[in-house]
Amino acid sequence: MSRAPFALWRWERLWNDKAVIFNGFVTTLLVSLLALALAMAIGIVFGMLGTSEKKPLRAVNRVYVEFFQNIPLLVQVFFIYNAFPLLGFRWPVFTIGVVGVGIYHGAYVAEVIRAGIRSIPKGQGDAARSQGFGYIQTMAYVILPQTIKIILPPLTNQAVNLIKNTSVLATLSGLDLMYRADSWASQGTLSYGPAYVAAGALYFLICFPLATWARRYERRIKEREHLQLSEAAAEEMMLMAEEML
Amino acid sequence: MKTRKLIALLLTLVMLTAVFSACATKTDTDTPGASPNESVTGGDNTGADADTDADSNTGASNAAADAIRAAGVLKIGCKEDVPNFGLLNTATNEYEGFEIELAKLIANDIFGDPAKVRFQAVTAKTRGPLLDNGDVDMVIATFTITEERKLSYNFSDPYYQDAVGMLVRRDSGIESIADCDGKTIGVAQSATSKDAIQAAADAAGVSVTFNEYGTYPEIQAALNSGNVDVFCVDRSILRGYLSDDLVLTEDKFSPQDYGVTTKFENKELADYVNGLINGWLDDGTIAALVEQFGL
Repeated sequence: MSRAPFALWRWERLWNDKAVIFNGFVTTLLVSLLALALAMAIGIVFGMLGTSEKKPLRAVNRVYVEFFQNIPLLVQVFFIYNAFPLLGFRWPVFTIGVVGVGIYHGAYVAEVIRAGIRSIPKGQGDAARSQGFGYIQTMAYVILPQTIKIILPPLTNQAVNLIKNTSVLATLSGLDLMYRADSWASQGTLSYGPAYVAAGALYFLICFPLATWARRYERRIKEREHLQLSEAAAEEMMLMAEEML
Repeated sequence: MKTRKLIALLLTLVMLTAVFSACATKTDTDTPGASPNESVTGGDNTGADADTDADSNTGASNAAADAIRAAGVLKIGCKEDVPNFGLLNTATNEYEGFEIELAKLIANDIFGDPAKVRFQAVTAKTRGPLLDNGDVDMVIATFTITEERKLSYNFSDPYYQDAVGMLVRRDSGIESIADCDGKTIGVAQSATSKDAIQAAADAAGVSVTFNEYGTYPEIQAALNSGNVDVFCVDRSILRGYLSDDLVLTEDKFSPQDYGVTTKFENKELADYVNGLINGWLDDGTIAALVEQFGL
Protein backbone atom coordinates (compact mmCIF):
# COMPACT_ATOMS: atom_id res chain seq x y z
CA MET A 1 0.00 0.00 0.00
CA SER A 2 1.51 3.27 -1.11
CA ARG A 3 1.83 6.08 1.41
CA ALA A 4 1.71 8.82 -1.16
CA PRO A 5 -0.77 11.61 -0.41
CA PHE A 6 -2.77 10.82 -3.57
CA ALA A 7 -2.45 7.02 -3.44
CA LEU A 8 -5.30 5.09 -5.03
CA TRP A 9 -6.47 3.52 -1.78
CA ARG A 10 -7.08 6.95 -0.32
CA TRP A 11 -9.46 7.69 -3.23
CA GLU A 12 -11.19 4.38 -2.57
CA ARG A 13 -11.73 5.30 1.08
CA LEU A 14 -13.13 8.64 -0.01
CA TRP A 15 -15.48 6.88 -2.45
CA ASN A 16 -16.70 4.56 0.31
CA ASP A 17 -17.48 7.58 2.49
CA LYS A 18 -18.99 9.63 -0.33
CA ALA A 19 -22.27 10.03 1.58
CA VAL A 20 -20.44 12.26 4.09
CA ILE A 21 -19.16 14.56 1.35
CA PHE A 22 -22.54 14.52 -0.40
CA ASN A 23 -24.26 15.66 2.83
CA GLY A 24 -21.93 18.62 2.89
CA PHE A 25 -22.63 19.32 -0.77
CA VAL A 26 -26.38 19.48 -0.11
CA THR A 27 -25.87 21.82 2.87
CA THR A 28 -23.66 24.09 0.79
CA LEU A 29 -26.28 24.17 -1.99
CA LEU A 30 -29.08 25.04 0.44
CA VAL A 31 -27.10 27.74 2.23
CA SER A 32 -26.04 29.17 -1.13
CA LEU A 33 -29.59 29.30 -2.52
CA LEU A 34 -31.10 30.92 0.57
CA ALA A 35 -28.19 33.33 1.00
CA LEU A 36 -28.43 34.27 -2.68
CA ALA A 37 -32.17 34.99 -2.34
CA LEU A 38 -31.46 37.14 0.72
CA ALA A 39 -28.59 38.94 -1.00
CA MET A 40 -30.80 39.70 -4.03
CA ALA A 41 -33.62 41.01 -1.85
CA ILE A 42 -31.25 43.20 0.17
CA GLY A 43 -29.42 44.24 -2.97
CA ILE A 44 -32.55 45.39 -4.80
CA VAL A 45 -33.83 47.37 -1.83
CA PHE A 46 -30.50 49.01 -0.99
CA GLY A 47 -29.65 49.47 -4.67
CA MET A 48 -32.87 51.43 -5.10
CA LEU A 49 -32.13 53.43 -1.95
CA GLY A 50 -28.76 54.27 -3.47
CA THR A 51 -30.39 55.90 -6.49
CA SER A 52 -33.04 57.72 -4.50
CA GLU A 53 -33.35 61.47 -4.84
CA LYS A 54 -33.67 61.79 -1.07
CA LYS A 55 -30.30 62.25 0.58
CA PRO A 56 -31.04 60.38 3.86
CA LEU A 57 -32.04 57.29 1.85
CA ARG A 58 -28.80 57.46 -0.14
CA ALA A 59 -26.97 57.78 3.17
CA VAL A 60 -28.60 54.59 4.46
CA ASN A 61 -27.38 52.80 1.35
CA ARG A 62 -23.84 54.16 1.77
CA VAL A 63 -23.59 53.14 5.44
CA TYR A 64 -24.87 49.65 4.76
CA VAL A 65 -22.67 49.05 1.76
CA GLU A 66 -19.50 50.49 3.27
CA PHE A 67 -19.99 48.65 6.57
CA PHE A 68 -20.45 45.21 5.11
CA GLN A 69 -18.02 45.59 2.23
CA ASN A 70 -15.12 46.75 4.35
CA ILE A 71 -15.17 44.18 7.13
CA PRO A 72 -13.99 40.67 6.26
CA LEU A 73 -16.75 38.08 6.02
CA LEU A 74 -14.80 35.84 8.38
CA VAL A 75 -14.85 38.52 11.08
CA GLN A 76 -18.58 39.04 10.60
CA VAL A 77 -19.51 35.37 10.93
CA PHE A 78 -17.14 34.84 13.87
CA PHE A 79 -18.80 37.79 15.54
CA ILE A 80 -22.26 36.31 15.00
CA TYR A 81 -21.06 32.89 16.14
CA ASN A 82 -19.06 33.76 19.24
CA ALA A 83 -20.11 37.25 20.31
CA PHE A 84 -23.87 37.22 19.63
CA PRO A 85 -24.44 34.40 22.17
CA LEU A 86 -22.84 36.57 24.85
CA LEU A 87 -25.49 39.19 24.04
CA GLY A 88 -28.21 36.59 24.31
CA PHE A 89 -28.70 35.51 20.68
CA ARG A 90 -27.54 32.09 19.59
CA TRP A 91 -28.31 31.08 16.02
CA PRO A 92 -27.85 27.70 14.41
CA VAL A 93 -24.80 27.65 12.16
CA PHE A 94 -27.02 27.14 9.11
CA THR A 95 -28.81 30.42 9.89
CA ILE A 96 -25.49 32.18 10.45
CA GLY A 97 -24.43 30.97 7.01
CA VAL A 98 -27.55 32.21 5.24
CA VAL A 99 -27.76 35.54 7.09
CA GLY A 100 -24.01 36.21 7.35
CA VAL A 101 -23.20 35.45 3.73
CA GLY A 102 -26.53 36.95 2.55
CA ILE A 103 -26.08 40.38 4.14
CA TYR A 104 -22.41 40.50 3.18
CA HIS A 105 -23.08 39.84 -0.49
CA GLY A 106 -26.25 41.93 -0.30
CA ALA A 107 -23.95 44.95 -0.02
CA TYR A 108 -22.14 44.00 -3.22
CA VAL A 109 -25.38 43.22 -5.05
CA ALA A 110 -26.72 46.63 -3.96
CA GLU A 111 -23.75 48.30 -5.65
CA VAL A 112 -24.29 46.28 -8.81
CA ILE A 113 -27.96 47.22 -8.93
CA ARG A 114 -27.30 50.85 -8.13
CA ALA A 115 -24.86 51.01 -11.05
CA GLY A 116 -27.42 49.23 -13.25
CA ILE A 117 -30.17 51.71 -12.45
CA ARG A 118 -27.81 54.65 -12.97
CA SER A 119 -26.96 53.36 -16.44
CA ILE A 120 -30.60 53.70 -17.61
CA PRO A 121 -31.19 57.18 -19.08
CA LYS A 122 -33.09 59.41 -16.70
CA GLY A 123 -35.68 60.15 -19.39
CA GLN A 124 -36.98 56.60 -19.06
CA GLY A 125 -38.08 57.21 -15.51
CA ASP A 126 -39.52 60.63 -16.36
CA ALA A 127 -41.49 59.10 -19.21
CA ALA A 128 -42.88 56.38 -16.95
CA ARG A 129 -43.87 58.94 -14.33
CA SER A 130 -45.60 61.05 -16.96
CA GLN A 131 -47.74 58.03 -17.80
CA GLY A 132 -48.82 57.82 -14.16
CA PHE A 133 -46.44 55.09 -12.94
CA GLY A 134 -45.51 55.28 -9.27
CA TYR A 135 -41.91 54.85 -8.06
CA ILE A 136 -42.18 51.11 -7.41
CA GLN A 137 -44.02 50.53 -10.71
CA THR A 138 -41.46 52.57 -12.61
CA MET A 139 -38.70 50.46 -11.10
CA ALA A 140 -40.45 47.11 -11.52
CA TYR A 141 -41.81 47.58 -15.07
CA VAL A 142 -39.48 50.06 -16.72
CA ILE A 143 -36.08 50.48 -15.09
CA LEU A 144 -35.10 47.14 -13.52
CA PRO A 145 -35.99 44.94 -16.55
CA GLN A 146 -33.74 47.10 -18.70
CA THR A 147 -30.82 46.74 -16.28
CA ILE A 148 -30.73 42.96 -16.50
CA LYS A 149 -28.34 42.66 -19.41
CA ILE A 150 -26.06 45.26 -17.82
CA ILE A 151 -25.97 43.80 -14.33
CA LEU A 152 -26.01 40.12 -15.23
CA PRO A 153 -22.24 39.65 -15.61
CA PRO A 154 -21.30 41.36 -12.31
CA LEU A 155 -24.28 39.72 -10.62
CA THR A 156 -23.10 36.30 -11.69
CA ASN A 157 -19.68 37.12 -10.30
CA GLN A 158 -21.38 37.88 -7.01
CA ALA A 159 -23.39 34.66 -7.06
CA VAL A 160 -20.27 32.59 -7.75
CA ASN A 161 -18.34 34.40 -5.02
CA LEU A 162 -21.24 33.90 -2.64
CA ILE A 163 -21.25 30.16 -3.25
CA LYS A 164 -17.51 29.94 -2.70
CA ASN A 165 -17.74 32.14 0.41
CA THR A 166 -20.20 29.77 2.09
CA SER A 167 -17.07 27.75 2.83
CA VAL A 168 -16.39 30.10 5.78
CA LEU A 169 -18.90 27.89 7.57
CA ALA A 170 -16.21 25.22 7.73
CA THR A 171 -14.52 27.28 10.45
CA LEU A 172 -17.74 27.30 12.49
CA SER A 173 -18.26 23.57 12.30
CA GLY A 174 -21.02 24.32 9.78
CA LEU A 175 -21.50 20.86 8.22
CA ASP A 176 -21.02 22.36 4.75
CA LEU A 177 -19.02 20.83 1.90
CA MET A 178 -15.63 22.19 3.00
CA TYR A 179 -16.24 21.21 6.63
CA ARG A 180 -17.24 17.67 5.67
CA ALA A 181 -14.25 17.27 3.38
CA ASP A 182 -11.90 18.72 5.96
CA SER A 183 -13.37 16.66 8.77
CA TRP A 184 -13.23 13.48 6.72
CA ALA A 185 -9.64 14.21 5.69
CA SER A 186 -8.49 14.82 9.22
CA GLN A 187 -9.82 11.56 10.58
CA GLY A 188 -7.73 8.43 10.69
CA THR A 189 -5.52 8.22 7.64
CA LEU A 190 -5.25 11.97 7.02
CA SER A 191 -6.08 11.62 3.31
CA TYR A 192 -6.45 15.34 2.81
CA GLY A 193 -5.28 15.31 -0.82
CA PRO A 194 -8.26 13.50 -2.36
CA ALA A 195 -10.68 15.22 0.04
CA TYR A 196 -9.72 18.73 -1.07
CA VAL A 197 -9.68 17.75 -4.73
CA ALA A 198 -13.20 16.33 -4.35
CA ALA A 199 -14.44 19.43 -2.50
CA GLY A 200 -12.90 21.70 -5.13
CA ALA A 201 -14.47 19.69 -7.93
CA LEU A 202 -17.91 19.90 -6.30
CA TYR A 203 -17.70 23.68 -5.82
CA PHE A 204 -16.61 23.88 -9.46
CA LEU A 205 -19.62 21.77 -10.40
CA ILE A 206 -21.96 24.40 -8.92
CA CYS A 207 -20.13 27.55 -9.98
CA PHE A 208 -19.01 26.76 -13.51
CA PRO A 209 -22.47 25.96 -14.96
CA LEU A 210 -23.85 29.08 -13.31
CA ALA A 211 -21.19 31.30 -14.85
CA THR A 212 -21.62 29.58 -18.21
CA TRP A 213 -25.39 29.96 -18.13
CA ALA A 214 -25.13 33.66 -17.33
CA ARG A 215 -22.67 34.21 -20.16
CA ARG A 216 -25.00 32.50 -22.62
CA TYR A 217 -28.04 34.36 -21.34
CA GLU A 218 -26.27 37.67 -21.68
CA ARG A 219 -25.22 36.82 -25.22
CA ARG A 220 -28.75 35.77 -26.13
CA ILE A 221 -30.22 39.02 -24.86
CA LYS A 222 -27.70 41.04 -26.82
CA GLU A 223 -28.26 38.99 -29.96
CA ARG A 224 -32.02 39.39 -29.66
CA GLU A 225 -31.66 43.12 -29.29
CA HIS A 226 -29.32 43.27 -32.23
CA LEU A 227 -31.85 41.30 -34.26
CA GLN A 228 -34.69 43.61 -33.26
CA LEU A 229 -32.61 46.62 -34.20
CA SER A 230 -31.66 45.25 -37.58
CA GLU A 231 -35.27 44.21 -38.24
CA ALA A 232 -36.39 47.71 -37.41
CA ALA A 233 -33.73 49.14 -39.68
CA ALA A 234 -34.73 46.82 -42.50
CA GLU A 235 -38.37 47.81 -42.11
CA GLU A 236 -37.47 51.46 -42.24
CA MET A 237 -35.45 50.97 -45.39
CA MET A 238 -38.38 49.17 -46.99
CA LEU A 239 -40.65 52.07 -46.12
CA MET A 240 -38.15 54.54 -47.50
CA ALA A 241 -37.85 52.49 -50.66
CA GLU A 242 -41.63 52.39 -51.06
CA GLU A 243 -41.84 56.15 -50.62
CA MET A 244 -39.18 56.70 -53.21
CA LEU A 245 -41.07 54.56 -55.69
CA MET B 1 -19.42 29.29 -32.06
CA LYS B 2 -19.83 25.56 -31.60
CA THR B 3 -16.16 24.85 -32.20
CA ARG B 4 -15.05 27.53 -29.79
CA LYS B 5 -17.20 25.99 -27.08
CA LEU B 6 -15.69 22.62 -27.84
CA ILE B 7 -12.18 24.04 -27.60
CA ALA B 8 -12.99 25.62 -24.25
CA LEU B 9 -14.31 22.33 -22.94
CA LEU B 10 -11.25 20.49 -24.20
CA LEU B 11 -8.94 23.02 -22.56
CA THR B 12 -10.73 22.54 -19.26
CA LEU B 13 -10.35 18.81 -19.54
CA VAL B 14 -6.68 19.10 -20.42
CA MET B 15 -6.09 21.29 -17.38
CA LEU B 16 -7.88 18.87 -15.10
CA THR B 17 -5.94 15.95 -16.54
CA ALA B 18 -2.72 17.85 -15.99
CA VAL B 19 -3.62 18.40 -12.34
CA PHE B 20 -4.45 14.77 -11.82
CA SER B 21 -1.48 13.40 -13.70
CA ALA B 22 0.76 15.69 -11.67
CA CYS B 23 -0.63 13.99 -8.61
CA ALA B 24 -0.18 10.59 -10.21
CA THR B 25 3.42 11.34 -11.09
CA LYS B 26 4.04 12.28 -7.49
CA THR B 27 2.62 8.93 -6.43
CA ASP B 28 4.86 7.13 -8.88
CA THR B 29 8.02 8.83 -7.77
CA ASP B 30 7.19 8.45 -4.13
CA THR B 31 6.44 4.78 -4.25
CA PRO B 32 9.77 3.38 -5.46
CA GLY B 33 11.49 5.61 -2.91
CA ALA B 34 9.35 4.15 -0.17
CA SER B 35 9.84 0.47 -0.86
CA PRO B 36 13.62 -0.02 -0.89
CA ASN B 37 14.54 1.74 2.30
CA GLU B 38 18.20 2.26 1.61
CA SER B 39 17.66 4.28 -1.55
CA VAL B 40 15.56 6.95 0.13
CA THR B 41 18.32 9.50 0.44
CA GLY B 42 19.57 8.55 -3.03
CA GLY B 43 22.95 9.83 -4.16
CA ASP B 44 23.84 11.26 -0.78
CA ASN B 45 23.88 7.82 0.66
CA THR B 46 27.45 6.79 -0.17
CA GLY B 47 28.90 9.99 1.18
CA ALA B 48 26.76 9.70 4.27
CA ASP B 49 27.98 6.19 4.95
CA ALA B 50 31.56 7.36 4.83
CA ASP B 51 30.69 10.10 7.29
CA THR B 52 29.14 7.60 9.63
CA ASP B 53 32.45 5.82 9.95
CA ALA B 54 34.39 9.03 10.29
CA ASP B 55 32.62 10.93 13.03
CA SER B 56 31.24 8.33 15.34
CA ASN B 57 31.64 10.73 18.27
CA THR B 58 27.90 11.38 18.41
CA GLY B 59 27.32 7.68 18.80
CA ALA B 60 24.02 7.45 16.95
CA SER B 61 25.09 8.98 13.64
CA ASN B 62 23.44 7.77 10.47
CA ALA B 63 22.53 9.03 7.02
CA ALA B 64 19.28 10.62 8.17
CA ALA B 65 20.98 12.50 11.00
CA ASP B 66 23.72 13.54 8.58
CA ALA B 67 21.16 14.97 6.20
CA ILE B 68 19.81 17.16 9.00
CA ARG B 69 23.35 18.09 10.04
CA ALA B 70 24.03 19.15 6.46
CA ALA B 71 20.93 21.36 6.56
CA GLY B 72 22.42 23.06 9.64
CA VAL B 73 19.27 23.07 11.73
CA LEU B 74 16.70 20.60 13.06
CA LYS B 75 13.20 21.64 12.06
CA ILE B 76 10.64 20.63 14.67
CA GLY B 77 6.89 20.97 14.58
CA CYS B 78 5.67 21.66 18.13
CA LYS B 79 2.61 22.92 19.95
CA GLU B 80 2.58 26.59 20.92
CA ASP B 81 -0.52 26.53 23.10
CA VAL B 82 -0.12 23.50 25.37
CA PRO B 83 1.34 24.41 28.76
CA ASN B 84 4.08 22.08 29.98
CA PHE B 85 4.33 20.37 26.57
CA GLY B 86 4.89 23.08 24.02
CA LEU B 87 4.05 26.67 24.86
CA LEU B 88 5.24 29.87 23.27
CA ASN B 89 6.22 32.21 26.06
CA THR B 90 5.07 35.52 24.64
CA ALA B 91 7.29 37.48 27.02
CA THR B 92 10.52 35.89 25.79
CA ASN B 93 9.27 34.58 22.41
CA GLU B 94 10.80 31.20 23.34
CA TYR B 95 9.11 27.84 23.27
CA GLU B 96 8.93 25.99 26.59
CA GLY B 97 7.86 22.55 27.76
CA PHE B 98 8.53 18.84 27.93
CA GLU B 99 8.37 18.29 24.16
CA ILE B 100 10.55 21.35 23.55
CA GLU B 101 13.23 19.86 25.83
CA LEU B 102 12.93 16.58 23.93
CA ALA B 103 13.56 18.42 20.67
CA LYS B 104 16.61 20.13 22.15
CA LEU B 105 17.95 16.76 23.28
CA ILE B 106 17.65 15.44 19.73
CA ALA B 107 19.38 18.54 18.37
CA ASN B 108 22.12 18.03 20.91
CA ASP B 109 22.61 14.50 19.67
CA ILE B 110 22.78 15.58 16.02
CA PHE B 111 24.78 18.80 16.32
CA GLY B 112 26.24 18.62 19.81
CA ASP B 113 24.30 21.85 20.32
CA PRO B 114 20.78 21.94 21.80
CA ALA B 115 20.18 25.39 20.33
CA LYS B 116 20.20 24.24 16.71
CA VAL B 117 16.48 23.70 16.56
CA ARG B 118 14.01 25.74 14.58
CA PHE B 119 10.56 25.37 16.07
CA GLN B 120 7.45 25.77 14.02
CA ALA B 121 4.07 25.84 15.71
CA VAL B 122 1.68 23.19 14.43
CA THR B 123 -1.90 22.20 15.19
CA ALA B 124 -3.49 18.77 15.11
CA LYS B 125 -4.62 19.81 11.67
CA THR B 126 -1.43 21.13 10.14
CA ARG B 127 1.21 18.78 11.54
CA GLY B 128 0.58 16.02 8.97
CA PRO B 129 0.80 18.24 5.89
CA LEU B 130 3.87 20.05 7.27
CA LEU B 131 5.67 16.72 7.65
CA ASP B 132 4.65 15.62 4.17
CA ASN B 133 5.84 18.75 2.45
CA GLY B 134 9.15 18.81 4.33
CA ASP B 135 8.61 22.02 6.30
CA VAL B 136 9.50 20.12 9.44
CA ASP B 137 11.81 17.11 9.98
CA MET B 138 9.90 15.81 12.96
CA VAL B 139 6.73 16.55 14.82
CA ILE B 140 6.80 16.41 18.61
CA ALA B 141 3.37 17.83 19.33
CA THR B 142 1.20 15.59 21.53
CA PHE B 143 0.81 13.42 18.42
CA THR B 144 -1.10 10.28 19.42
CA ILE B 145 0.07 7.02 17.88
CA THR B 146 -2.72 5.13 16.08
CA GLU B 147 -2.70 2.20 13.70
CA GLU B 148 -4.38 4.27 11.00
CA ARG B 149 -1.88 7.10 11.32
CA LYS B 150 0.94 4.59 10.99
CA LEU B 151 -0.26 4.16 7.40
CA SER B 152 0.81 7.72 6.71
CA TYR B 153 3.66 8.51 9.12
CA ASN B 154 6.41 6.92 11.20
CA PHE B 155 6.02 7.06 14.96
CA SER B 156 8.69 6.46 17.58
CA ASP B 157 7.90 4.37 20.63
CA PRO B 158 5.73 6.36 23.06
CA TYR B 159 7.46 8.93 25.25
CA TYR B 160 4.33 9.84 27.21
CA GLN B 161 0.85 8.54 27.87
CA ASP B 162 -2.17 10.77 28.32
CA ALA B 163 -5.95 10.39 28.43
CA VAL B 164 -8.78 12.37 26.85
CA GLY B 165 -10.64 14.56 29.34
CA MET B 166 -13.62 16.91 29.45
CA LEU B 167 -13.54 20.66 30.09
CA VAL B 168 -16.94 22.16 30.93
CA ARG B 169 -18.42 25.47 32.10
CA ARG B 170 -18.58 25.52 35.87
CA ASP B 171 -22.28 26.45 35.80
CA SER B 172 -23.21 23.72 33.32
CA GLY B 173 -23.67 21.08 36.00
CA ILE B 174 -21.89 18.47 33.88
CA GLU B 175 -19.82 16.18 36.09
CA SER B 176 -19.21 13.23 33.82
CA ILE B 177 -20.03 11.83 30.39
CA ALA B 178 -23.28 10.44 31.87
CA ASP B 179 -24.59 14.05 32.13
CA CYS B 180 -23.93 14.71 28.46
CA ASP B 181 -27.08 13.33 26.84
CA GLY B 182 -28.05 15.60 23.95
CA LYS B 183 -25.01 17.81 24.48
CA THR B 184 -22.64 19.12 21.85
CA ILE B 185 -18.99 18.21 22.20
CA GLY B 186 -16.27 20.40 20.73
CA VAL B 187 -13.28 18.49 19.43
CA ALA B 188 -10.20 19.38 17.39
CA GLN B 189 -10.01 18.22 13.81
CA SER B 190 -7.41 15.51 13.33
CA ALA B 191 -7.47 14.64 17.03
CA THR B 192 -8.38 11.17 18.33
CA SER B 193 -10.72 12.62 20.99
CA LYS B 194 -13.85 12.20 18.86
CA ASP B 195 -13.53 8.40 18.72
CA ALA B 196 -12.65 8.22 22.41
CA ILE B 197 -15.67 10.28 23.50
CA GLN B 198 -18.00 8.47 21.12
CA ALA B 199 -16.96 5.16 22.64
CA ALA B 200 -17.39 6.51 26.20
CA ALA B 201 -20.80 8.00 25.33
CA ASP B 202 -21.93 4.69 23.84
CA ALA B 203 -20.78 2.90 26.97
CA ALA B 204 -22.66 5.37 29.18
CA GLY B 205 -25.76 5.10 26.99
CA VAL B 206 -25.91 8.81 26.11
CA SER B 207 -26.05 10.39 22.67
CA VAL B 208 -23.85 13.34 21.82
CA THR B 209 -23.12 15.39 18.72
CA PHE B 210 -19.72 16.71 17.67
CA ASN B 211 -18.52 20.05 16.39
CA GLU B 212 -15.03 20.02 14.95
CA TYR B 213 -12.71 23.03 14.98
CA GLY B 214 -9.29 23.74 13.57
CA THR B 215 -7.63 25.08 16.73
CA TYR B 216 -8.06 24.81 20.50
CA PRO B 217 -8.75 28.52 21.06
CA GLU B 218 -11.70 28.21 18.68
CA ILE B 219 -13.13 25.39 20.79
CA GLN B 220 -12.58 27.44 23.91
CA ALA B 221 -14.48 30.35 22.35
CA ALA B 222 -17.27 27.97 21.32
CA LEU B 223 -17.39 26.62 24.88
CA ASN B 224 -17.53 30.10 26.39
CA SER B 225 -20.25 31.24 24.00
CA GLY B 226 -22.26 28.07 24.55
CA ASN B 227 -21.99 26.78 21.01
CA VAL B 228 -20.58 23.60 22.54
CA ASP B 229 -21.15 22.20 26.03
CA VAL B 230 -17.94 20.26 26.45
CA PHE B 231 -14.39 20.76 25.18
CA CYS B 232 -12.76 17.38 24.75
CA VAL B 233 -9.13 16.74 24.04
CA ASP B 234 -6.13 15.29 25.87
CA ARG B 235 -6.11 16.28 29.53
CA SER B 236 -2.61 17.73 29.33
CA ILE B 237 -3.88 20.15 26.71
CA LEU B 238 -7.10 20.96 28.59
CA ARG B 239 -5.12 21.93 31.69
CA GLY B 240 -3.92 24.93 29.72
CA TYR B 241 -7.49 26.22 29.43
CA LEU B 242 -8.59 26.02 33.05
CA SER B 243 -10.08 29.28 34.30
CA ASP B 244 -12.55 30.60 36.85
CA ASP B 245 -15.42 29.59 34.59
CA LEU B 246 -14.06 26.37 33.14
CA VAL B 247 -13.40 23.16 35.07
CA LEU B 248 -11.98 19.76 34.19
CA THR B 249 -14.14 16.73 35.06
CA GLU B 250 -12.68 13.56 36.51
CA ASP B 251 -13.28 11.57 33.30
CA LYS B 252 -10.32 9.89 31.66
CA PHE B 253 -10.95 8.18 28.33
CA SER B 254 -8.78 6.03 26.08
CA PRO B 255 -5.29 6.50 27.45
CA GLN B 256 -3.15 7.22 24.43
CA ASP B 257 0.51 7.29 23.56
CA TYR B 258 2.43 10.24 22.19
CA GLY B 259 5.22 9.51 19.72
CA VAL B 260 7.80 11.51 17.79
CA THR B 261 6.54 11.58 14.22
CA THR B 262 8.60 11.56 11.04
CA LYS B 263 7.90 11.41 7.33
CA PHE B 264 6.86 7.94 6.22
CA GLU B 265 9.47 7.61 3.48
CA ASN B 266 12.35 8.39 5.81
CA LYS B 267 12.72 5.07 7.66
CA GLU B 268 16.30 5.84 8.69
CA LEU B 269 15.30 8.98 10.53
CA ALA B 270 12.52 7.08 12.27
CA ASP B 271 14.92 4.37 13.41
CA TYR B 272 17.40 6.97 14.58
CA VAL B 273 14.80 8.88 16.62
CA ASN B 274 13.37 5.71 18.04
CA GLY B 275 16.82 4.69 19.24
CA LEU B 276 17.22 8.04 21.01
CA ILE B 277 13.79 7.87 22.67
CA ASN B 278 14.36 4.34 23.91
CA GLY B 279 17.75 5.32 25.26
CA TRP B 280 16.22 8.22 27.22
CA LEU B 281 13.39 6.03 28.47
CA ASP B 282 15.95 3.53 29.78
CA ASP B 283 18.33 5.98 31.43
CA GLY B 284 15.60 8.02 33.13
CA THR B 285 16.11 11.20 31.10
CA ILE B 286 12.46 11.28 30.04
CA ALA B 287 11.21 10.39 33.53
CA ALA B 288 13.20 13.35 34.89
CA LEU B 289 11.66 15.70 32.30
CA VAL B 290 8.16 14.45 33.10
CA GLU B 291 8.84 15.24 36.75
CA GLN B 292 10.39 18.60 35.92
CA PHE B 293 7.24 19.75 34.13
CA GLY B 294 4.91 18.25 36.72
CA LEU B 295 3.15 15.96 34.25
